[in-house]
Amino acid sequence: MTTAQLDKMRLELRRGVLVLAVLASLKQPHYGYSLRKQLQDGGIDIDEGTLYPLIRRLADQELLDSEWRQAEGRERRYYQLSELGTSLLGQLTDEWQHLNTSLASLLATKTQETP
Amino acid sequence: MELVKRYIAAVQRELPQAKQQEIGRELKANIMDQIDALTEQKGQLNEDDISTLLVNMGHPRQVAWQFVPPQPLIQTSSMPLYKNTLFMVLGILFLLQTVETTTAWLSSFDMGLIGFLHGLASGFIESACFGFTAITLAFVFTGSTRLDEQASRCNNWQPKDLPKAEPGWQYIDMSDIFTDLATYLFLLLVIWYPLWFIAESQAASSSLLSDNARLILQWASPVIVLGLVNSLWQLRVRIWSKALLIANILLNLTAMLIVLYLANSSPLLGVTPEQWQGVFSHAQVEHSAMVSLFIIALFPAWEVLRDSLRLRKL
Repeated sequence: MTTAQLDKMRLELRRGVLVLAVLASLKQPHYGYSLRKQLQDGGIDIDEGTLYPLIRRLADQELLDSEWRQAEGRERRYYQLSELGTSLLGQLTDEWQHLNTSLASLLATKTQETP
Repeated sequence: MELVKRYIAAVQRELPQAKQQEIGRELKANIMDQIDALTEQKGQLNEDDISTLLVNMGHPRQVAWQFVPPQPLIQTSSMPLYKNTLFMVLGILFLLQTVETTTAWLSSFDMGLIGFLHGLASGFIESACFGFTAITLAFVFTGSTRLDEQASRCNNWQPKDLPKAEPGWQYIDMSDIFTDLATYLFLLLVIWYPLWFIAESQAASSSLLSDNARLILQWASPVIVLGLVNSLWQLRVRIWSKALLIANILLNLTAMLIVLYLANSSPLLGVTPEQWQGVFSHAQVEHSAMVSLFIIALFPAWEVLRDSLRLRKL
């Protein structure tokens, strides 16, 4: 497998998980850069070109509330989970844990079977 | 900061007007945060540092597209139908233009080959532009309705409704159906030329076919309409069934008989020998038309034979 193929598959694998990571991080209010920093600190590296449009999309879907605030002499748009977003995050978390358990079991089986 | 302003303005230019201010404001806030973070790390930033930061953000157009993804004018799912419709209509328009220009050429003494080609090209381009625009607009305006229909069809289905996994010949190719549709529409338009063609061109158009030939073709119009209905039926089911094969055999048999009857009737063409002076004699043209009609009759004859053999396999 070429590096390009691997990169493409990694990107596909991460795409769905990023939504979950962003929603989970926005239990507390964050502005764009601070959210990115929090995700990076948590081990999820995401570039600005992906993160900022993603937050806006989630806000358009009413999963996030947002407001402009003045801080450190500059305005920033803060995002936080909405009621709908909180409910969805709960469901997605259950789904993720279920998937993770199933996948862990599958991956373990595969490892044992490999000579 | 001049570079940042330029960058944000470049992104805004690629966005819909309603979103320019909001996204520009937010993008600026995000970039300023990144600059602050970078300044903390490296100290005072120069123009090259800011330039590198902006390059890492991505090209303004890409950034704008990530915020507001571009919407295709024609939905991807509608593209096969759109392409076939476009080819069909443009094909008909080209044939009609060929008939019209040829008629004008043959009826005129002062129109040379260059004039003929110019007339053909300019006339076709004019009508093709109109046809292309009309079809595209129709697809744009009916796009959402068609998407709803497709979604509804995809949600309400049962495996038993699917056709049997039959041999390959049983599946009707969409391009074949559109070729038939185009042929029938073209024939109808040519036959009923006087009804829709502008008055001043009528004299010229009437000279292509004789009154007798036109009358026969007009009487054959119901068969052509049935052909259209048959093609639309094929478009709906997309698989040859016994009923569809029988309908096709009967239709092609009738078409073949009409063409043969037409080939045996005389005169076929409405042109007078004077108009053809120096080109061909009237008898030569009539004979050529008759032979052409016999050759044309072979096509429905072939389809009758093909469908009869297929019918035996079902």
